[in-house]
Amino acid sequence: MKYTVLGSISAMLIGATGALAQDYPTKEIQGIIQWGAGGSTDVVMRSVTPHAEAVLGGTVVMQNMTGGVGAIGLNYVADQAADGYTLLMGAENPLLYKVMGLGDKDYSDFTAINLLARGTPILVAGQNTPYNDYAELMEFIAANPGEVRFGATGPGGLPSVITAMINAVEGELDVISVPFDGDGPALTALQGGAIDVMPAVLGAAIEGIRAGTMKPLAMFDVDANERLPDVPTVTSFNDAYNDLLPWGPFFGIFVKNGTPDDVVASLQAAYSEAAQNADFVEMIDNRGFTMMNIAGDEAADFMNRWQQNTTWLLHDAGVTQNSPEDFGIERP
Amino acid sequence: MDPNFRGDTDHHDGTSDATPGGYSKQRRPGELVFTFFLLGASVVLLNEAFGISGFGKLSAPGTVPVVTAAIMVVCMLIVGAQTVRLPKVAGETLARDILPWRVLAFVAFLVAYALAVRPLGFLPTTALFLVFGIRLLGRGWVFSAGVGLGALICIWIVFRIVFTVLMPAGIVPEAELVQLIRNLFGGAR
Amino acid sequence: MDAFLAFATVLMQPQLLALVALGTFAGIYIGAIPGLSVTMAVSILISFTFSWSVYPALALMVGIYMGGVYGGARTAILLNIPGAPSAIATALDGYPMAKRGEAGQAIGVSTVMSVIGGFVGIAVLAVAAPLVSDFALRFQPRDYMFLAVLGILLVGSLSTGSLVKGIFAGALGVAIGAVGRDPLTFTPRFTFDLSLLNGGISFIAVMIGMFGVSEALLQLHHVDKKAIRQKVGRIIPSWKVVRKHLPLSMQTSTIGVTIGALPGTGGDIAALMAYDHAKRVTKNPETPFGEGAMEGLVAPETANNAAVGGAFVPMMTLGIPGDAVTAIMIGALFIHGLNPGPMLMIDRPEMFWFIVGALTFANIFLLIFGLTGIRLFTKLVEMPRAVLISLILILSIVGAYAVNNAITDVYWMLGFGVLGYFMRHYGYPLGPVILGVILSRLLDDNWRRAIITAREDWGRFFDGVFSSPLSSVLLAAVVFIFLSHTPPWKWAKARLFASRIK
Repeated sequence: MKYTVLGSISAMLIGATGALAQDYPTKEIQGIIQWGAGGSTDVVMRSVTPHAEAVLGGTVVMQNMTGGVGAIGLNYVADQAADGYTLLMGAENPLLYKVMGLGDKDYSDFTAINLLARGTPILVAGQNTPYNDYAELMEFIAANPGEVRFGATGPGGLPSVITAMINAVEGELDVISVPFDGDGPALTALQGGAIDVMPAVLGAAIEGIRAGTMKPLAMFDVDANERLPDVPTVTSFNDAYNDLLPWGPFFGIFVKNGTPDDVVASLQAAYSEAAQNADFVEMIDNRGFTMMNIAGDEAADFMNRWQQNTTWLLHDAGVTQNSPEDFGIERP
Repeated sequence: MDPNFRGDTDHHDGTSDATPGGYSKQRRPGELVFTFFLLGASVVLLNEAFGISGFGKLSAPGTVPVVTAAIMVVCMLIVGAQTVRLPKVAGETLARDILPWRVLAFVAFLVAYALAVRPLGFLPTTALFLVFGIRLLGRGWVFSAGVGLGALICIWIVFRIVFTVLMPAGIVPEAELVQLIRNLFGGAR
Repeated sequence: MDAFLAFATVLMQPQLLALVALGTFAGIYIGAIPGLSVTMAVSILISFTFSWSVYPALALMVGIYMGGVYGGARTAILLNIPGAPSAIATALDGYPMAKRGEAGQAIGVSTVMSVIGGFVGIAVLAVAAPLVSDFALRFQPRDYMFLAVLGILLVGSLSTGSLVKGIFAGALGVAIGAVGRDPLTFTPRFTFDLSLLNGGISFIAVMIGMFGVSEALLQLHHVDKKAIRQKVGRIIPSWKVVRKHLPLSMQTSTIGVTIGALPGTGGDIAALMAYDHAKRVTKNPETPFGEGAMEGLVAPETANNAAVGGAFVPMMTLGIPGDAVTAIMIGALFIHGLNPGPMLMIDRPEMFWFIVGALTFANIFLLIFGLTGIRLFTKLVEMPRAVLISLILILSIVGAYAVNNAITDVYWMLGFGVLGYFMRHYGYPLGPVILGVILSRLLDDNWRRAIITAREDWGRFFDGVFSSPLSSVLLAAVVFIFLSHTPPWKWAKARLFASRIK
């Protein structure tokens, strides 16, 4: 009796792995979200996945696995079998892990299923600040050294990259950098007057800008954004930004390297179709993100360029722990 | 009335958090060892706290940890000095009042559980824990197996199916099982 | 008129009413089980209600939220294991009542008081949301820091035994909260160079271990003892009892709604502060605090449910979450094609009134479900201890795992369970440990933000404090409460009272 039970269980196991290649999925898929519930990554993943499930004909169980700037979730997926039953749903941060000393793995250990969308950074200021655009801010900082309070979200976060860009272009600014544990709390503090200026992703700031509780100083992009066409681009103030932009955080879905090609292909097809769903497109648009929907070599190229630009920018700004050179990341 | 007098010995095991156990004028078995353990741990923490960032700035990441660990050390020095001078409680022994065999057995069970849950999987480990746990506390085998497995099924349904908490699957092909159940109930999805 | 129609949407559509009811009912049980949290339930509901329209999805979430915050009280009273962080203070006086066989009465009072607190929260949300959110936004990092210090001073009222041991426990909590990579600079703290510790220690794991596992281990001493027979005759508290505590409940509800409205503090801190407030203002409780005082039950239960309404204030007016649950609800609104933010109240005022309506009906259902089924629930403690203890341990393990899907959290939970077991034996209060963990980040992060903003300069820091009325008041409160705990003050007070009696 005992043997038959064990036998049938092992038969199921063998059957499961054997059947994998032909008809995927035969069991439910885990989706590990690197960031907390309610955050941008979470919202994007939870709104695209149901459409992909419909195409796949399977279930994707999504779990938030937070901590260590997303490294906990990434390492968890890296420890699972490369069978396509564990997806990593993350943002851009892992590409900085190596230089920031946060871990020894990044997306080069993973295959991109889909890079869904990217965000546009924007520089916003509190309502009662005396400057109304980027140029006035620079004049004000020059006239009042050590007075302007910039919001930050820790090394490697979007504000640290944007601040590094500004420092690279304008020379070192004498400002106070006040750290927060996310752009949500930082923008709250901005509206309460605890900080004056904050580089944020457009999606997080757009509602506040529409309502007039914060004012946009400059869009960190080369072209005006159609969501806020009146906000000038930072390149219109200083040409030097053309070398560094466009730049922005992104969201993507990954599987571990070594996953069977046909599994990767069916996942890529499912998510590519899901990303074109009208509801999802509208949600992405409303939140001020730019749809990408790319996979394969295109995605790998994008991430390579992103990693080169960002790591060297941060390294030159002196906020990294290790040099990008140590990991074979070439200077752009 | 002495605020530390609680009428019966039952209170002294700290059954309610608001009235923690222990006596203010006497020392329980093992209390001195525990006090020195906490003191030692506090000193280790203080040492570690100094290493975080030094005292460069008021806003340094190590400032609050150093202050906190220092408070812990000071508190434990005071508690230690008080505890050493106290007389031992008459009539209490470590084996009977602090660590009876049942507590030790269950702590061992828990350690075994923690070690086994990843390789073996949640379902078998928990089944073993519940059945042997209930049996150990004086119930018959039939009762233990029935109640233990019944409870396990309820917990599994609530946590795994409803709340999709992915406990380690171990040797059980859980994901296939869940998909099977889903297919049975949900039809084509 | 439109506002009223939106408010009554729930009443007019039986399907919505049923969902609110279902949510509230489920919420009570989710809140009561230490391993299940409202945050978890709501984030799963996001996927589950994906294809629904927005009203039914929100109706269910609001119900679960309301029920869940209340549900934590049940296990706190019956088993001395708070089902949720906001019920920690409830256990302090609720469990002693259960030990006297008055669990039914304790649950009855906690239900009625939760409902009263809930209504105060909803009323503030409906009437004064813009005003309150304006006030909440004014809190600067230094104000949050003072608030955290005020919280830390609660150690004084949470430790009934030795104060030194209480202070130690509080400091231990703060240290536990600091473990891991510091979120502001990524500097590793208390990690002993172990990568395992980089992510920090989940505070829910600490709470479940300290209260759940240590309680189960303690119960092993009494396996053979008969369970206490619970009197279930009088469950619904008499009007006299309710009226007697009405003034206190109004004060603690106000604390709850204010703390709840602040982005960054929630029902857990509100409940503990309310407990402290009750202890301070109640001159002659019928039963001393910590031994089953009714006031010790009234205060946290009103405050944590009032905090629900409070948490919706910044969410609905500004799109800023008041706590973890409202953060997820904001995500849900995005997924359903809405744009939560300051414009939501202007673009879609009916959403606001719908939420107010759903909260109101959830609160009414809370009263109904809260006062029924108590008999069944109290049977829980009369269950054979062999089964109960084993179940508590397994639920603690699953619960700790569920927080972050990490097995390391389970190890921590067990470790703190054993530590908590010894701490209870040797007279260390556990409440301050949890208090310390809750407040650790609030204190540390905001202290650093405040002093960074002041460019590391004490003079500039105090200039800032004294030029802001809010900061000055908070600082004064800190100084006053600190002095009231110190011996010279107590001595002076005793002298004053003594002479008056003469």
